[in-house]
Amino acid sequence: MTTPRFDELIHAPTRLSLVAFLAATGWADFAVLRDSVGLSDSALSKQLTTLQDAGYVEIRKAFVGKRPRTSARLTADGRTAFDRHVLALQQIVSGAGGSVVQASRSSEQS
Amino acid sequence: MNEWIEPADAAEALSEIDRRREQVIRRKVFPGWWWWAYAVLFVGFTAAVESGRGVLIGIGIAAFVACSLVIDVPVRRAAGAAPPRRGLAPGAARRTLIGLVAFVAVLVGVALAIGLSLKAAGVPEPGTIAAAVTGVLFAVGGPILVRWEASMLVRRSGSRR
Repeated sequence: MTTPRFDELIHAPTRLSLVAFLAATGWADFAVLRDSVGLSDSALSKQLTTLQDAGYVEIRKAFVGKRPRTSARLTADGRTAFDRHVLALQQIVSGAGGSVVQASRSSEQS
Repeated sequence: MNEWIEPADAAEALSEIDRRREQVIRRKVFPGWWWWAYAVLFVGFTAAVESGRGVLIGIGIAAFVACSLVIDVPVRRAAGAAPPRRGLAPGAARRTLIGLVAFVAVLVGVALAIGLSLKAAGVPEPGTIAAAVTGVLFAVGGPILVRWEASMLVRRSGSRR
């Protein structure tokens, strides 16, 4: 069973949009991500690298003909972290939020 | 960052998650011209078959296959660029299949009804005329079916369900 856990890395506005988009897809093309979330190439690369470093995103580079094509998708860990984050947000909205946020942060510190 | 997340901020985050999910679901895969291109192909193919001449039928089949492959290239590319994840909307696959089967059944029914009626009335080229009417129905109804499917997926996949 998935337990709620507020994730600060995911919750940052740009990354929340990015991860939410990726959570609804399989592999997503770099260009689609950039246009959908409204980021520049460099900003998207930076965010994807941050998520990749955290183990939340997997990046694939391939060639279609002679054109390079970069795609990204959430890893199993990334999907789990996102699902737990959504649960934490739902609990906050439904009134149990404070304890969820504090509990998850205290567990991080320990 | 604040130690506490306000319920309003959490609600806004959930709305953003729903917006992005909807964005994936409603992402345009079929360009508007795709439906009309297939409608024209149907009519051309039917006219070739109805001509009854072997050479024309052969050309019609070859043209239909070749043009279909070309027409589908941008659709395949767009569909593969960010396909909605399986299981995004539980129970939606069955409804989508029912909608698709119903749409095809209506198209075939209309084509048969018009074609047979025109043939009985002695109108020349009944199959081609029926294909033209069915093609228009396909080009108009297809995008409506896609929008209906997207709306159904969005309804069934919200983060607050």
